[in-house]
Amino acid sequence: MPIDLSSPGGATLALLPELVLTFWALVVLMYVAWHHRDGHDMRTAGGLSIVGYIFAAAATAWLAWRGARPEGLSFMIALDGFRFASDALLLWIAAAVAILSVRWLIRQGILAPEYYPMLMLATVGMMLLAGAADLITLFLGLEVMSISVYVLAGFDRTRRASAEAALKYFLIGAFASGFLLYGIALTYGATGQFNFDLIGAQFAATPPTLMAKLGMGLILVGFAFKIAAVPFHAWAPDVYEGAPTPITAFMASGVKAAAFLALVRVLAEVFPALVDLWRPVIFGLAAITILVGNLTALSQTSMKRMLAYSAIAHAGYLLLAVWAHSDEGTAAVLIYLLAYSVTIVAAFGILASIERAGARTVRLTDLEGLFSVRPFASIGLSICMLSLLGFPGTFGFIGKWYLLSAALRAGQTTLPVIAMVGSAISIGYYLPVVLAMTLKPARTRQAHQTIRFPRPARIAVGICVFAILLLGVWPNTVLNFATQTAVQLRQSELPIGPR
Amino acid sequence: MLLGPSLALSAVLFVLGVAGVLIRRNAIVVFMCVELMLNAVNLTFIALAQLHGVSGQIMVFFVMTVAAAEAAVGLAIILAIFRHTQSVDLTHINLLRG
Repeated sequence: MPIDLSSPGGATLALLPELVLTFWALVVLMYVAWHHRDGHDMRTAGGLSIVGYIFAAAATAWLAWRGARPEGLSFMIALDGFRFASDALLLWIAAAVAILSVRWLIRQGILAPEYYPMLMLATVGMMLLAGAADLITLFLGLEVMSISVYVLAGFDRTRRASAEAALKYFLIGAFASGFLLYGIALTYGATGQFNFDLIGAQFAATPPTLMAKLGMGLILVGFAFKIAAVPFHAWAPDVYEGAPTPITAFMASGVKAAAFLALVRVLAEVFPALVDLWRPVIFGLAAITILVGNLTALSQTSMKRMLAYSAIAHAGYLLLAVWAHSDEGTAAVLIYLLAYSVTIVAAFGILASIERAGARTVRLTDLEGLFSVRPFASIGLSICMLSLLGFPGTFGFIGKWYLLSAALRAGQTTLPVIAMVGSAISIGYYLPVVLAMTLKPARTRQAHQTIRFPRPARIAVGICVFAILLLGVWPNTVLNFATQTAVQLRQSELPIGPR
Repeated sequence: MLLGPSLALSAVLFVLGVAGVLIRRNAIVVFMCVELMLNAVNLTFIALAQLHGVSGQIMVFFVMTVAAAEAAVGLAIILAIFRHTQSVDLTHINLLRG
């Protein structure tokens, strides 16, 4: 179904998933304007928001099923399999986070159902960011996502840590978007275009000027902040620790996924002609991110901080596939993001259930003896740790395998070796979690009696853990889907030449 | 008109903003420096719009809108911090330490 993106009707059709979700966020916002008294209103708002994600996913699936593609140039928003797969990934993460939040918020005494519309608007921003075909859409999507997530990070405003996390995230995030915006301005100055395809055609036709190179560098710096690559990572552990736990899961999986999907698209469509310039930068970022992330994670005692540093290391692994700059690399990014988000959602879901109301974050010592009291939760968390480690038989292994082979096929051998070393180091902080839960005895008899694992969260975590195991041994469907999708990103032929 | 000087001025303003964010320790001043960065970029867009047509000027409207939304959220966050610490000095924001 060809869609003419320059006409209002065509643009509406192309933006259907985002529009549906925005509309539904406003509906939920109207509902909570009158119903914000107690836990029942919180649960209703959460349920309504999940309905919104299902509608948006249905709209995405409809566009994909009708084979929507742009007629002529793709203005503002992309219409290809990569965007639909990105939307599906981001919607699933948001829905899982909403399910995890439902009872957790009530137990923590956060009775503000505006949480759910905010989460939906953040998801709209992520979808626009990942689907942008124009630097204006890219910037707006990034900001819609970021501003919503600033609010969500500080949502537990009675806790000082949450407010501090929000302030840090806000100042660093705004600082980073300043860099990205200056990069956009210089790229516009060098080419006179905002559209990805037109800029790419300009760079392919004429050698890049100094302004273009500076613009690309600044855009990369902006993205490096968002994906928390070393040396632009200092904010991440603090923000991840201070934010409410479901939001930490959202930032570690959703925000990172959206930024990576946008980075892959920008490098594939805007800067393919400058590949020799950005590859060394990605190489350096990947190597230093993997090493620093893994080494710093070793010395952490707080589980949230440990997972924050491990999230930094995983961003480093993902940069391998970005370096590859190929269809295999794109497919590997999609597969790895799915594997990583499934694992992170399950791990943070279990950690959130262990947290007590108003208490400090869960430490490694708090998990001791969990197996004897809560066998299923501890088995689930163990499987998550093994998947993050990349243990064979889990989905994490498949994801990592594809990242490494994508980089190897693109002719890179140093980075996969560094990634293997990093994985070996990561045994040193994933395995103690498993050992503490199974081998060590519980500290006191009352330990683990305060764990509350409500049924919605239990179902969501159960599905995630099951998916980790199932896709770890039977990944073919997902692999084929990701490969077919990834091919479409670089397939888009430019229908008209540059002005 | 004045393309080179405008670009140079906006680059200087941007660097001033970056330096301010890195050096100053008051949350509101840091936020003002971020705004200075965004407005420096706006000047770049306006200057480049002379070469490339109206789309650069349209981008400025989006940037101003985003900056306004960011200011609303940012000042609310700074207010929330002030309620906890009675200060907006970033050296007092030390509960979370790497």
